[in-house]
This record gives sequence, structure tokens and C-alpha cells, in this order.
Amino acid sequence: MPNSPGPFHSGRFWLGPTLLGASVLGLLLLVQACSLPWGLRRQPSPRTGLGLGAESRQDPALSGDGRLLASLVLRSGRSTVLLQDRRSGQTMPLPLLRGQQPHSSPSLSWNGRYLALLVWRGGRRQVVINDRATNRLLPLPLRGDREAQRLSLAPDGRHLAVELVEGGQTRVEVFGLGEWLEPDPVPGSLLQGPSSGARP
Amino acid sequence: MSSASPRGRGLLPAAPGIGLALCLLLGGCLDNGARPLMGLNLQLAHTAVNRDPALSSDWLALIGGREGREQVRLVRLSQGAPVPLPGLNRPDARPVSVAVDQWGERLALIRELEGRSELVLYRRSLQSLQLIPIEPAGVPHRLALSADGRVLAVEVGRGGLSQVDLLELP
Repeated sequence: MPNSPGPFHSGRFWLGPTLLGASVLGLLLLVQACSLPWGLRRQPSPRTGLGLGAESRQDPALSGDGRLLASLVLRSGRSTVLLQDRRSGQTMPLPLLRGQQPHSSPSLSWNGRYLALLVWRGGRRQVVINDRATNRLLPLPLRGDREAQRLSLAPDGRHLAVELVEGGQTRVEVFGLGEWLEPDPVPGSLLQGPSSGARP
Repeated sequence: MSSASPRGRGLLPAAPGIGLALCLLLGGCLDNGARPLMGLNLQLAHTAVNRDPALSSDWLALIGGREGREQVRLVRLSQGAPVPLPGLNRPDARPVSVAVDQWGERLALIRELEGRSELVLYRRSLQSLQLIPIEPAGVPHRLALSADGRVLAVEVGRGGLSQVDLLELP
């Protein structure tokens, strides 16, 4: 019986791994084209839909779940907050904020129910919270001659941090909103941590 | 030889603190039921400068310190105390913008170092710092991190325009 080449010596044996290797290499190159080595992925920012040409966008804020993006765009020469679905680019109307530009320092709760920001009202910058669930605009006037510069709303809506200037000094104060706002629920936030493990 | 008694020396440093407490008590309240966190605010007021707050559940990240020597600080609201951030702050770097996730685990930071602005991601449990390149090249100015720690939004200056870059983190 002629000594036929075994599978180890056949071309077909090598063809499989070669194709497999080429596929893996191609996949790696494809992934690398849109990601950094440790898995970070870049996503184009959704268009503003405000017109053609170059658009300037500033001061981004994300909802706690990362679904919504708020940013500032120039509309009629005034800084205006724009709220969008991060993936689809769909714009959410914010009718209560019209006529109170310039807007600044937007901040969103977990599901985007609350949008805290600074608006121009009565000749000065003021803190407001837009409750999108009840369609209300809640003003939070600072007493005295203190002026707010920046805001940060906790994802559950229970606290608000305000950077303010008083007597030329910049400082941060934190306010509890628990008696005033319904919480914007954060699913399972206290039950599970990130994969890398949170430290207490 | 100083004539001030130990008791007198103890009171003098306390005077500014009392003034600050009164100031916070009288001027700190917002209307509509918002209540200042007095203990925390008093503690924060002892720092010369505090700016750029970022809240996420029980965590407050901010930039504070003396002018020209600012650092990133992370405070746990429920304990009213800062936690250490080994490996994050550098004496030769100036922090620009900071954000934190809801576990106080991931901090995203823009800082100026050797005349350049850079974006870094810090993992507190690992004490690790990763540089995130800006592509296409640009200057990062401000950032936001989703509370779930999965999405980063960065305002980047490019060619005279400001744009928002979105990055999904693993």
C-alpha cells in the first residue's frame, strides 16, 4: 500500500489554521481601527441639527446611564443648552429654558429627568433645575451677593454642588435636595460595583 | 517671650472658622427646601480655593488647594472626609477638569503638564493612571464621566472650534 501523506502533511491541515489566523488578524486590525489598545471605543458626537457647517460645542454633561448628552451650542450668538440622545442624536425639547440664555454648566441626573444649569435671569446668573417629568423649572436663588459659576447634580438628584464666588473667593458648597426633589432612581447603584472592584 | 496664653493662642485661629460658619449659616441656604451640608461646607471652606465640583452619588471630586498648587480631591459625602488618591496628583501638574463615577472608583482628569494638556483615567482600587490620547489631535478643556463609568465626554479645542468627543470605556 503506497505511503500516502497523512493529514499532518496535507495542505488541508495547514489551510485551516492559516485561514483562522488571517481572520483573527483581520479582526484585530478592524477593532484597532476604532479602539485603543485597552478597549476604549470612540463614538462620533451626534450632530446638533442646527444647520450646516462647523458647529462649536462646549461643556458636555452626561446622564448617569450615559444615554443622554447635554452640551452648549451657539444659537443666535447665545450659548444654549442642547439635550440629545447620545446614540441616535435625537434632540429633546427644553421649552422652559427659552429666553434665558446664555446657559452654562449643564448637569444631568441618572435618567435625565433633572437638568440643572445656570441661566440668565433678572440681570444675573441663576441656578435652576428643569424637571422634565413634571415640566417645571425650579429656581434655586442663592442668598446674598454670591454668584454661582458651575454646578454638578448628583445622579440620584439628592445633592447639588455649586462653585460660587463671594468676595472674590471661589469655593464649593454642597446642598441637599432630598426634601425637595423626588429621587431619579439609580438602578442597583449600591448593590454592585464596577468590574475592577470599588474600594470603600 | 510671648505674652499670649495657650488659651488665647487657641482662640485666635478659631476666629476665622467661627466667621466662616456664621457666613455659611446665614448665606448658605437656598430657597425651596435645599439645605446646605454644613459640616462638609465648613470643611471645604478651609481650603483657599475650591472649584470644578463633580458629584456622583456619595462622591464629590473637585480641584482645590492654594493658588498655583491645586490638586484633585475626592470626598465621601457620607463621611465628610477626603480619601487618598495615591499616584494621581503631581506637584508639576495643574488639574483643569475632573469627574468621578458613582463608586468613586474611576476618575477622569484633564491636566496641564509641561505646557501640554492631557487626558488621563485613574482607577482608585488599582492606583493606576492611563493616558487617553486625543484623536484627532486637539486640546482637551473640560470633561464629563457618566455615573456608571462607561462613557466619557470631552470638550476638545480643534482648529479654533470646540467639539465634544465621546468615548466608551471598557
